[in-house]
Amino acid sequence: MGRKNPASQKALNLLRNRLCNPNFIFKPLSDSPDSNYSKLKFLVSSSVTEACNNSILLLGPRGSGKIAVLELVLGDLLLEYPDTLSVIMLNGLLHSDDNCAIKEIARQLCMEHNLMFSKMASFDDNSQFMIAMLRECGLAHKTIIFVLKEFDLFAQGKQRLLYSLLDAMQSVTSQAVVIGVSCRLDADQLLEKRVRSRFSHRKLLFLPPCKEELQRLLEHILSLPMDSSLPRDYAVEFNGKIKNILADERFKEIINTYLNSDSTVNHLLRFLFQAVSYMDLESGFLSLENFKTALPNFQRQPKLESIKDCSILELYILVCMKRLEVKEQNSYNFNSVMKEYKSIHDSFKTSDYYARSVCLRAFEHLLQRELICFTDNRGYSHLVEFRPVKLLISYVELHHGLKSYRSCPAILLKLMER
Amino acid sequence: MPAIASHDSILAIKSEKSGEIARSNGDSTPQKRRLRSDAAAEQNKSPTSTPMKWTSPRRSLNSSPNTPINGIEKSSDEKLVTRKSPVKKRLFESYVEQMSAVKEALHVSTAPSTVVCREEEQKRVLEFCKKHLEQEKAGSLYVCGCPGTGKSLSMDKIKQHLLDWAKEEGFQVPDLLAINCTSLTNTSEIFSKIIFKIQGRKKINGSTSPLQHLQNLYSQKQQSSGSKMMLIVADELDYLITRDRAVLHDLFMLTTFSFSRFILIGIANAIDLADRFLPRLQSLNCKPLVVTFRAYSKDQIIRILQERLMALPYIVFQPQALELCARKVAAASGDMRKALSVCRSAIEVLDAELRESASKINSTSVEKGSFDQQAAPALEFFNSQANYIFGAIRLHIYLFLVRVDHMAVALSNTFKSPVVDTIQSLPQHQQIILCSAVKFFRRGKKDTTVGELNKSYMEICKTSLIPPVGILEFSSMCRVLNDQGLLKLGQSREDKLKRVTLKIDESDITFALQVWIKPSKFSAFMEFVSFGTVFNNFALKLEING
Repeated sequence: MGRKNPASQKALNLLRNRLCNPNFIFKPLSDSPDSNYSKLKFLVSSSVTEACNNSILLLGPRGSGKIAVLELVLGDLLLEYPDTLSVIMLNGLLHSDDNCAIKEIARQLCMEHNLMFSKMASFDDNSQFMIAMLRECGLAHKTIIFVLKEFDLFAQGKQRLLYSLLDAMQSVTSQAVVIGVSCRLDADQLLEKRVRSRFSHRKLLFLPPCKEELQRLLEHILSLPMDSSLPRDYAVEFNGKIKNILADERFKEIINTYLNSDSTVNHLLRFLFQAVSYMDLESGFLSLENFKTALPNFQRQPKLESIKDCSILELYILVCMKRLEVKEQNSYNFNSVMKEYKSIHDSFKTSDYYARSVCLRAFEHLLQRELICFTDNRGYSHLVEFRPVKLLISYVELHHGLKSYRSCPAILLKLMER
Repeated sequence: MPAIASHDSILAIKSEKSGEIARSNGDSTPQKRRLRSDAAAEQNKSPTSTPMKWTSPRRSLNSSPNTPINGIEKSSDEKLVTRKSPVKKRLFESYVEQMSAVKEALHVSTAPSTVVCREEEQKRVLEFCKKHLEQEKAGSLYVCGCPGTGKSLSMDKIKQHLLDWAKEEGFQVPDLLAINCTSLTNTSEIFSKIIFKIQGRKKINGSTSPLQHLQNLYSQKQQSSGSKMMLIVADELDYLITRDRAVLHDLFMLTTFSFSRFILIGIANAIDLADRFLPRLQSLNCKPLVVTFRAYSKDQIIRILQERLMALPYIVFQPQALELCARKVAAASGDMRKALSVCRSAIEVLDAELRESASKINSTSVEKGSFDQQAAPALEFFNSQANYIFGAIRLHIYLFLVRVDHMAVALSNTFKSPVVDTIQSLPQHQQIILCSAVKFFRRGKKDTTVGELNKSYMEICKTSLIPPVGILEFSSMCRVLNDQGLLKLGQSREDKLKRVTLKIDESDITFALQVWIKPSKFSAFMEFVSFGTVFNNFALKLEING
């Protein structure tokens, strides 16, 4: 246990905390005036100061930080204008039914303004209440911000809630902002033409970060702060090592391979968390090896891993089944597999010929590991040997698995290639 | 081009307001919130109460930025030279509040005082209502048109006119009932609302439904003669359409009873609602009068925008910019709300540009150290520009005009679909999936399973020497593309058997991936999808969509 250990544990905790805090992550991405953060903030704050109504849609793939940026903007605005904002949050998964939604709006409005909420209120009462509250807040110069998460789910059915909200914003007496958040790019095409006409067509697109932004983000996340409780020279050395890693070509290669399938910020954070958790506590520094070990955890192929654990006999059975399928025998059972197995043994004179009962055991193992399965749903009365089966693994994967098997018999590879 | 008529009165109010604000703010320049009560109080003041204290240099008599402004320049020169520093401060504040004034004038919720371009339709409806009111007969009218064509706005004006006219002519002022049919939980509730309006109580005796009650009421002669006529305006009438179309029918039938006292005006979007859903009325010879509100043409849109902007004493939009906006919106839908929204976002584009250049000037001035460090950066920008004012007011005005390029940016933000941008920013493998889908579907089939798509994907990866991902990651990427609305995944118990279709156009994908330059690894699979005429097709599509 070296002298650096408590510091390295602290550093690890600090990094892990950062990776789980969306506020910290999205701050550097929001600094430029061109970013979505500043555009959204400008829109909402100008609606508040000029007392006019607005509506906007935030679009982008899942995990690109739409809700995080929205929370940042709302947090800042609540500090700047403490008494003049109230925020109503609705979610399309919970409140897509109009009755539920209006009830939830009424409940949240009551909570904000310390009024009594009655669960017995009808749809009419609740909607009258909402309109009255909008009018009152408009007179009192308070802005109500409606946040509709999963906006595309609100656009199912008759879209009454959307119509009444957007219609209320057309009148002079109310002061509200409607912010819709959705992962569907065509969310505004889902709206009915009346609702779409009342919606102000502003869209903010959340795209994955480009290379420079990514580099800046990584440096921002992984560098230790100078003014924390960690010893200064340790922090300096740590940051120096991080800079070296980030400039390394191999690291860039790893990150690129990882982000090739999903380039959202959330996905990257998951990878960083795993890599950071592999940090060697003895030395207290991150190294390229941590990132390299973290990568395979995210590129798992479970069926290939199952093949690695199979015995040779099980591999034989799988290859036999593949040959039967290739010969266009659409339904076959254990008996046909045994026939095929025997014919292979006869033609190639292999040494691996086992008795029927042993093969049946291997067959059942394969069933349990879900590399094969039965194709009929009933038929429990029949014996295992007579029920039709099929492969659950594709030929390509099987071939791949055989090639990477530690001591695969050459005959099997030859049979696969035929 | 609008002739700015006597703007003295308006200027008086403006200078007063800005004078007040300048006095109260002193050195600080925060964004002052325009309270609605301020605006209301202002309207009540008489326009000629106070003389002009300070002339705003931001004025123009002509719309073109090139013609010299003779008379004002000389007089303002003398006035402004003597008050150099207060003018600069007030310049910034007046800019901020003028921007917000323009935005408010262009907001959808600001109802204009006169409704232009709808005089013909308003006259027809008004004539109809006046005739029926005079003769104390019941009648029905159906107003139809696309969204954003001014139907509800016109109806509000007509209601007001009708009440005023009835008072003038000495007729009994009719009752007014305005219902928006989206707020009804049950379609037959509309009858109970009508009864409530007539009788003032919701509870009706016995077992008769509201509808029957109304029918009974109007099939016999009224006991109390001279009961009032009622004007019912039903907005969004198609919410009343049920499967058996009973409610809509009964509502219009109520006007056919011999002793009925309604004038019913229905508003909806469908042009043929009356023909499709009310066939029996034709046989009774009381089909409702249909007034169609056509979509706005380019000239009408320009007129309406200018009408709104005429209330302001300065020019904000270059005329070519307004024309561009009107042309695009008229070609797309003729929806006035869209035109207003585009103009507002054009102002925001201008605002962002000015702020950006102000902060740039501030950063350069900090290096030079020649400006006062305490003032706000935007104020510095205006400071530097103030030197131009006395020399050339027209240059100053030109800087604050919304030009054609601002309008073009705003139009592209509104009309452009985010699909092409999103495809270009997708990660590599997801783009390969889209390419493999395009290639697969070109053979003729329009949908396939995830398993087949995977095979196509592996082929492309093999030929372009990119290591493919496993089936698990492949199906999760398909799910991500489904969430974004680019692919459509069906339901199935097994992952591989889910059906996949493309939801976006093939040409969008080819356009997005052609234009985008990437390292040569991809040139191999680009060969699969690129063909020459696509670019023309997409450009053509842009033209058609306006």
